[in-house]
Amino acid sequence: MRWILLLCLSLSLPALADLDYALKPRLIADDTWLLEGSTDNFAKANGGNIVNTAFIVTEAGVVVIDTGPSRRYGEAMREAIARVTPKPVIQVLITHHHPDHALGNQAFKDVPIGALADTTRLLHEQGDGMAENLYRMVGDWMRGTEVVLPTQVLEPGVLSVGRHDLRLLALTGHTGADLAILDQSTGVLFTGDLVFYQRALTTPNSPGLTAWLADLDTLQALPWTLIVPGHGPVASDAQPFAQMRDYLTWLDQLLRGGAAQGSDMAEMIRSPIPERFAAISLSRYELIRSVSHLYPRYEREQMQRVDSAR
Amino acid sequence: MIWRLNVRLSCLLACWLPLAAHAVDVEPGKDPVPSVMWAFYHKQFLAEAPFVFDERVKLLAPPFAEDARQVPLEIDARAFKGHVLKILAWAELNPLPKIVDFQPKAGVLPWLSLRIRIEQATPLRAAVLTDDGLWHVGSTLIDAAGGGCTAPSVVRTQPGWEEHIGEVLGGRYPRGEFSRVRVQVAHPMDNGMVSGIPEFYLNHAQLRGQDGQVLAELELFPAVSENPNLAFDIDAPGPTRLVLRDNSGNEFDAAIP
Repeated sequence: MRWILLLCLSLSLPALADLDYALKPRLIADDTWLLEGSTDNFAKANGGNIVNTAFIVTEAGVVVIDTGPSRRYGEAMREAIARVTPKPVIQVLITHHHPDHALGNQAFKDVPIGALADTTRLLHEQGDGMAENLYRMVGDWMRGTEVVLPTQVLEPGVLSVGRHDLRLLALTGHTGADLAILDQSTGVLFTGDLVFYQRALTTPNSPGLTAWLADLDTLQALPWTLIVPGHGPVASDAQPFAQMRDYLTWLDQLLRGGAAQGSDMAEMIRSPIPERFAAISLSRYELIRSVSHLYPRYEREQMQRVDSAR
Repeated sequence: MIWRLNVRLSCLLACWLPLAAHAVDVEPGKDPVPSVMWAFYHKQFLAEAPFVFDERVKLLAPPFAEDARQVPLEIDARAFKGHVLKILAWAELNPLPKIVDFQPKAGVLPWLSLRIRIEQATPLRAAVLTDDGLWHVGSTLIDAAGGGCTAPSVVRTQPGWEEHIGEVLGGRYPRGEFSRVRVQVAHPMDNGMVSGIPEFYLNHAQLRGQDGQVLAELELFPAVSENPNLAFDIDAPGPTRLVLRDNSGNEFDAAIP
């Protein structure tokens, strides 16, 4: 009996040790470090590291932007920060409530975690369900992960940390509560998931594509020099905005046209995806999801009351 | 494990079903999806009648359920147009598997789309009975995080929902030789699986044409999503009347111009 236990242990320990995010911070601007995730879907192979997180090393201490998909990621992020600077983490900013951006909060319990008021509300309402779903999709990487709610309400305006003036914007297009951050001293714009680049955007909580398109105008008009999207590579040109606008406009017209023709959801998810989006990761998968999230609103616009009680 | 069982099952089926189906002498073919329940449902829903697994019955659903309470499902048996008596659909691993019993008559194509609840990843089936007495079975698989049948009602969280029961939104969309008729009916479709809430669902629908002739009869089951969405392809002239009944005896009436 005992040797079976030993055998199990010797087999399982290396497996656990393999769950290493191997986070490698990359300097993308003065004092500004990026932890770039893949553009894949959540999977056991990537531990949910499909997201971009970042940190800014200011004179006063380190500002963290998003904490990643799991407790293990949050802890690995903290170790990665410590390898770059001896300065303490003094502020966490959460761009929105989705699990890949906020489930690393456990590793930052000793630091003020700031978010928009509605982000905290949404995380409170949906966090456990989303965490459960991530356990299903990425497995053991999630072990010990629990939802930790933000402790500080952020308002739009300028937050000064050391010599970095961070302009906070409260937008809505992706989840109804989306924080974007422009570091006015470096010109780096952290868009959160208002911008996906080379990776299909996700829509589970979007108030609508029109609101999202308006947010893109707001963001693009800012004096940025470098865009850090929530998912996908950084860019110093406006290409991510152009791709987002193109994709959102296509999606909006597709759904509007489908509803006008009386197409059903099962037909909509089979719609052809234009060649120009072929390089965008997961476009079919996300189209299936977006039809489920958004199509009912488009359908109702094309229907009228027909019952005899009307 | 499922596969092995399935192989064994299909061997079993292959061995003795041809005997049962002797009358029309058909070979059912290979089950296109891994299933541990086919033999059971063949007995329970099809009374062990002769059948074939048939790709011409298209059962179209997404590969995964983004919202397990509202899973789109399209049943397309137009390959058998003019010969369809009845279409039965079910989700094999649902606690309440039956979805719909659809009997299209002249004037309606053997095509239907609706939304359903899924409790877990499951094979879906649509069995089409043609006028030669043979069941043609279309199949697909859907993955799901689960919980669609036991999740609390969304309708019941909306204040004043009772006032809206039986309201129907609808539209007609010309598509060349026929027109698509779509309806969305306000109804909680309680399946009795949420604590303290008994079964309360639309169980019957009838489509009627311009002169009152019956275009289709539908029996609905609580695997159909709340606020049911139904779509039909109709080649009879409008307006189309839809008469709905729930298991509490309420009757609702709508006319799609």
